[in-house]
Amino acid sequence: MNKNSGPWWKAPWSYKESFAVVGGLIASGIMLQLSIGNFDYEIIRYPVNIYLLILTLIIVAVLTLRHKSHLFQWLAAVPLSVANISGLLLYSIIMGLTMQAPANADGQSALGFDAVTRSWPFVIVFYFTLLNLSCVTARRLLNFHWRDYAFYLNHLGLLVLLYAGGFGAADLRRYVMHVEEGATEWRVYNEKDDVLELPLAIKLNDFYMEEYIPKLAIIDRRTGDAIPNGNPQMWQIDTTRTTANIAGWNIQLEKYIHEAVRKSDSTYQQIPMPGSCPAALVKVENNVAGFSQSGWICCGNFAQLYMTMQLNDTLSLVMTRPEPKLFRSDIEVYTPDEKTYQAQLEVNKPLRVGHWMIYQYSYDADAGKASAYSSFELVYDPWMTWVYVGIFMFLAGSIFLLWEGNKKARRKKA
Amino acid sequence: MNISWDHFTAFAIPVLISWLLAIITVFTSKKRWLNNIFTLAGIVGFATFIVLLWISLDRPPMRTMGETRLWYTFFLSTIGFVMYVKWKYNWIKAFSLVVASVFIFINILKPEIHSKNLMPALQSIWFVPHVTAYILSYSFLSAAAIAAVILLWQYKKQRETTTLEAFTDNLVYVGFGLLMTGLLIGAIWAKEAWGHYWSWDPKETWAFITAAAYLIYIHVRLRESRPKKFTLWLIIFSFIFLMITWKGVAYLPSAQGSVHVYSE
Repeated sequence: MNKNSGPWWKAPWSYKESFAVVGGLIASGIMLQLSIGNFDYEIIRYPVNIYLLILTLIIVAVLTLRHKSHLFQWLAAVPLSVANISGLLLYSIIMGLTMQAPANADGQSALGFDAVTRSWPFVIVFYFTLLNLSCVTARRLLNFHWRDYAFYLNHLGLLVLLYAGGFGAADLRRYVMHVEEGATEWRVYNEKDDVLELPLAIKLNDFYMEEYIPKLAIIDRRTGDAIPNGNPQMWQIDTTRTTANIAGWNIQLEKYIHEAVRKSDSTYQQIPMPGSCPAALVKVENNVAGFSQSGWICCGNFAQLYMTMQLNDTLSLVMTRPEPKLFRSDIEVYTPDEKTYQAQLEVNKPLRVGHWMIYQYSYDADAGKASAYSSFELVYDPWMTWVYVGIFMFLAGSIFLLWEGNKKARRKKA
Repeated sequence: MNISWDHFTAFAIPVLISWLLAIITVFTSKKRWLNNIFTLAGIVGFATFIVLLWISLDRPPMRTMGETRLWYTFFLSTIGFVMYVKWKYNWIKAFSLVVASVFIFINILKPEIHSKNLMPALQSIWFVPHVTAYILSYSFLSAAAIAAVILLWQYKKQRETTTLEAFTDNLVYVGFGLLMTGLLIGAIWAKEAWGHYWSWDPKETWAFITAAAYLIYIHVRLRESRPKKFTLWLIIFSFIFLMITWKGVAYLPSAQGSVHVYSE
């Protein structure tokens, strides 16, 4: 900021001109926003975004050819970067403080504050930042040094990421598909719940699920709340440490069956089948209340009744419904070019088919492991490869930054 | 040999003792090799437990909260060690070993959490590096915020501050590198788990705000030989954003429904 005392708009431009230009861009963005509403990403859908990308690269190339010009020097310098990042910072703070409208709904705010990523000022500053970052990178590449490798990885990586993420946002499509076990499906729902037909089809061979061992809790039957009130203590059933104490009630686990089915005499036996559910034989004692009893507890499911143990007038020992540990769909995917892909889909283990990613999304939560269907999310993003290129370059640059630290600090001050 | 959680204390106590000795010697002895040996002994002992547990479970120990804490301890101590070898900051070694030990203590003192279950979305190889990078980043950036306050105070007293200025810049650079590492690992993970690498979820938005604020500091500094008061305030504001990202988001009305808020 030391060379910023000269008269306005006299080359070389520095901080005040940079902030003025970015401020002006935001002002024009606000006017556009007020007159025509949110920016519609649909207008830059493929192939328009490709043309825009090429046009942007031509602009940067022409500017770079005239790299001695004041315009390029300004576009490739620190003050404009600071002004652009500040503009993005301002709009992201607005975004962070305002409840954002979902992607399928228009915002209510005239200034676009509840749909910031679709508001004109944000879009314009984002694009100007791209130009700025492109020129900065071009200038440093003109003066190439191997020792600047961290700079190139960080700036080029971010540049590729912002280009692919920004222009690619228009082409991103997300759908949800529900497939019955044994069936083949190609119809999906989009974000507005319209039914669409895809070129892909998915067959669900099998849906498989594992559940965690459930917990025991003591509830007040009048309210249904677990005790102690406000700070409920639950005991995660543990087959190696078999005793627990909840609010003065001693619990001794005598038997645990993960896949249990009730027999006619109100005891349980192990039978692995879709309708089975966890059950535990416990002994409960409370010396103060003079209580001692053994009995089966079961959380129940769609096929079996739950079983609880009444402790006194108000309290009962109950078992919680087990939480999902793993759910997996055995699927086959058919593509238009008559290829078949087979996969075991799990959360965190999606399948990539061309530009599509297929995710394990959901299942019939009431039926649990007996769910008759499985739901998948299908995400189409043809820019994804470039996004990964950007992310990994930037990631490498960040890790080198840990090692390099601030070079300027270690060199003698120039 | 079949290792289980029952053997954990037997491994943990010697590890804790050697790290305690490392923390003491890092401040009391000028011989760096001494505290490095204590640190390494602890890391090797702890890694042995993880490997043996892995073998006896026949799967990577990454499915429960207690198992996840094993990795926090391992990575915090290891990266803290590497950072110390590289930058020779006593406090970073002490900090990483103290936090690594805290995770050990939680596993010893609250054994029921060994079986505390991770929901499927959290069962990922990216979980531990994502969180570890952030914990270490927060330590560097906290140190930078403290350094900025000291600098502002010394400016007032008109003292010589050249060494501390360079130190502060370095803390921000390394802290920012860790911050971006955590964020980008998070983006890769989000693509695998949620279908998109960046969704402007409130936590993500505030992470972006934080990163942008530190970026402004880093870029403004490029044109200054000595940080202005305003520039030092940028570190403090950035740190406030960091705290909002870490803890504050859960309380923001705009963030209700964030996928990053994991409540019981």
